[in-house]
Amino acid sequence: MDHRPQAWGRPRDDVYGAYDASYLHSNTPKTATQSPVVTGTSVVGLKFADGVVIAADNLASYGSLARFTDVKRLRVFLDSSVVGFGGDVSDMQYLDRHLNELAIDEAYDHLTPDSSASKTASLNAANLYKYLQKLMYARRNDFDPLWNQILVAGLDGAQKPFLGSVDLRGTSFTSPSLATGYGAMLAQPIMRRVAATEEDAARLTREQAVDVVKECMKVLFYRDARSLDRYSIAVVTKDGIELKEDEQLEKQSWAFAERIRGYGTQTV
Amino acid sequence: MEFGTSGKLSEDGIHLDMDRLKKGEVNLGTSIMAITFKDGVILGADSRTTTGAYIANRVTDKLTRVHDTIWCCRSGSAADTQAVADIVQYQLGLFAMNSGKPPTTQTAASIFQEICYANKDKLSAGLIIAGWDERHGGQVYSIPLGGSLHKQPYAIGGSGSTYIYGFCDANWKEGMEEADAVNFVKEALKEAIKWDGSSGGVIRMVVLTAKGADRHLYLPDTDYKIRHT
Amino acid sequence: MTSIGTGYDLANSIFSPDGRNFQVEYAVKAVENGGTSIGIRCKEGVVLAVEKVVASKLLKPGANKRIATVDRHIGVVYSGMVPDGRHFVDRARDEARSWRDTFKTPIPTADLASRMGGYMQAYTLYQSVRPFGITAIVGGFDSELEAPVDGEVGRGPSVGAGGKNPDKKHGGPFLYMIEPSGLYWGYYGAATGKGRQAAKAELEKLDLKGGADMSLLEAVKEAARIIHVAHDDSNDKEFELEMSWISGADGPTKGRHVEVPKEIREEAERLAKELLQDSSDEDNDKSSDKMEE
Repeated sequence: MDHRPQAWGRPRDDVYGAYDASYLHSNTPKTATQSPVVTGTSVVGLKFADGVVIAADNLASYGSLARFTDVKRLRVFLDSSVVGFGGDVSDMQYLDRHLNELAIDEAYDHLTPDSSASKTASLNAANLYKYLQKLMYARRNDFDPLWNQILVAGLDGAQKPFLGSVDLRGTSFTSPSLATGYGAMLAQPIMRRVAATEEDAARLTREQAVDVVKECMKVLFYRDARSLDRYSIAVVTKDGIELKEDEQLEKQSWAFAERIRGYGTQTV
Repeated sequence: MEFGTSGKLSEDGIHLDMDRLKKGEVNLGTSIMAITFKDGVILGADSRTTTGAYIANRVTDKLTRVHDTIWCCRSGSAADTQAVADIVQYQLGLFAMNSGKPPTTQTAASIFQEICYANKDKLSAGLIIAGWDERHGGQVYSIPLGGSLHKQPYAIGGSGSTYIYGFCDANWKEGMEEADAVNFVKEALKEAIKWDGSSGGVIRMVVLTAKGADRHLYLPDTDYKIRHT
Repeated sequence: MTSIGTGYDLANSIFSPDGRNFQVEYAVKAVENGGTSIGIRCKEGVVLAVEKVVASKLLKPGANKRIATVDRHIGVVYSGMVPDGRHFVDRARDEARSWRDTFKTPIPTADLASRMGGYMQAYTLYQSVRPFGITAIVGGFDSELEAPVDGEVGRGPSVGAGGKNPDKKHGGPFLYMIEPSGLYWGYYGAATGKGRQAAKAELEKLDLKGGADMSLLEAVKEAARIIHVAHDDSNDKEFELEMSWISGADGPTKGRHVEVPKEIREEAERLAKELLQDSSDEDNDKSSDKMEE
């Protein structure tokens, strides 16, 4: 008998061969980096004279499978900002719960919720944007990023329209118009036609901005294979948030398909 | 414990359940579903468990009780989903004792979701939670691979589910009578079993209502026509 | 107190021979010196009120709130040592958050009361700690609606979930009072602090459990009146009236615990003072009658 305690209760080496411990030390470095599984596609946002419009479709894809068609990707924060999420849905839900707790903690300092003093003192969209940037950057430094691209829409400390973007690496920037995912390629050019600069955006009316954003959602539906024709759209102004979560794309153009025959010289 | 490089999400996204498995692991390459109906919910599943192409168990019970009228359908790794279900069963038992009232389906779904999300890099578990409680009636929640939580009128999952998206979408009706609802689940799973090599064997169902849990069993050699038990 | 000075009152975790924990009883004394706190539960919600003694004229009026919110739907008010109360509230907020982290839903008022009761009781057991010098009143409104799980996406069938019992009501207003011993009960009306005797007498006159339930607005007025009745003008220092309320989702606070709006509070306080004036006038009349006898 082998009297070493290390050998007790183990198969005998002389009969079974030495224990193969190779699986314990894998050659690859240990990482916690994940990849997204259930994902949302683009979010688009556009500033106008006295607010911001933001929209995202209601689809959560599982690879190319359109798996969940009623996922609301615009989330309201403290009744004053809207956060739009692209990317992993489980991380979006984590962030949503986290922001909910943040909002509860924030309210602890303001027993009177409707007084104007407490409103300006609480977190606005610009603060929220900065907070999310720090959070996302900290998580990427842990090599455990939250796999999202986020747009924050609302008002800043001076009650001016605010629109900012944060991604999974903690990269952040603001602009009169912003879009994530395919939207950055397909929607941004459309929005920049009307709002290339802050000054242009400040001249847009609410109706104009909403129309442009709806046009963007249409183009994205035409050209993004992970998109849906049902979407959510929110308008944030000083007066509050108007959020519609089950909109249907309107005025699509498909009839010209009739004129398309063959792929070159064919005419019938 | 080595993850293959194939563990990434492939373009069709579906065979991901297989890829995420650890070497030699028993797989519930599966067809599972749960639906709401007029009086509560119905869970359904096939009974095939495979290791590669070999059927390790042909009469598996993939419908697992976590509380009297809260059950789950398990897909993905058998070991992972059993471990998760065991933890949730314990937590719900504790909750019931502490609060003196039965937990809600939401409570169960929340605990499931937290485990699946916090351990997303280690687990391959695709779960459907379905339950009946006095306050919320019948509810169905789906927790796919990443650990997100989705409330749904009905949910389908596992490798076989890909073949029945069309069937379910076309034949689904809200607020069905129990007999129609049972039939819907049966017909859907029959299709999944027919087309998916990783699904097969018997069809098991559990009906959850105010009256409690009621098990159904249908066998392939009678073309799933006769209800046993 | 017969056993004072026998050494049994020097520490927690030692009973006196007649089965008392003197440290807890001394903590109750601390409570009995504090400004009166009350809670009223009615069908539509819960009202909390406190007589905030103005310790110094240098303190800003309306600042330094004494009623605190826990999560969104629960309010806490206490009498006794204010720093102990602050710690109690901090702990209650931690409990509420940990509940949310596990169950992804707001903590029911009953569960918070139970956890805080357990927490306070633990401070009666050990040599190294002293009991809380407060009695806390915890009021909350558990949502009567079907609330989603935090972060939820998707929805059930549009016809609504099947198999519900439509007659059974859920949630509603709750009121608990937790004492330094860790003892807690659910109440229709609760009072603690200096003026608790008078306040309890007034609360008992209200019809809080009967079918003819008072409205939340009436409860606010009663709360203001009771705090004024319980206040001893001749001996006590000046005070501020602080009031908060919680209604259901279709009520004025939409299920949240918030301060009673200034206009309503001032109106309630004006009525309270008026009523008090009337009754004292009556008393004066009676006494003058007596003089004439």
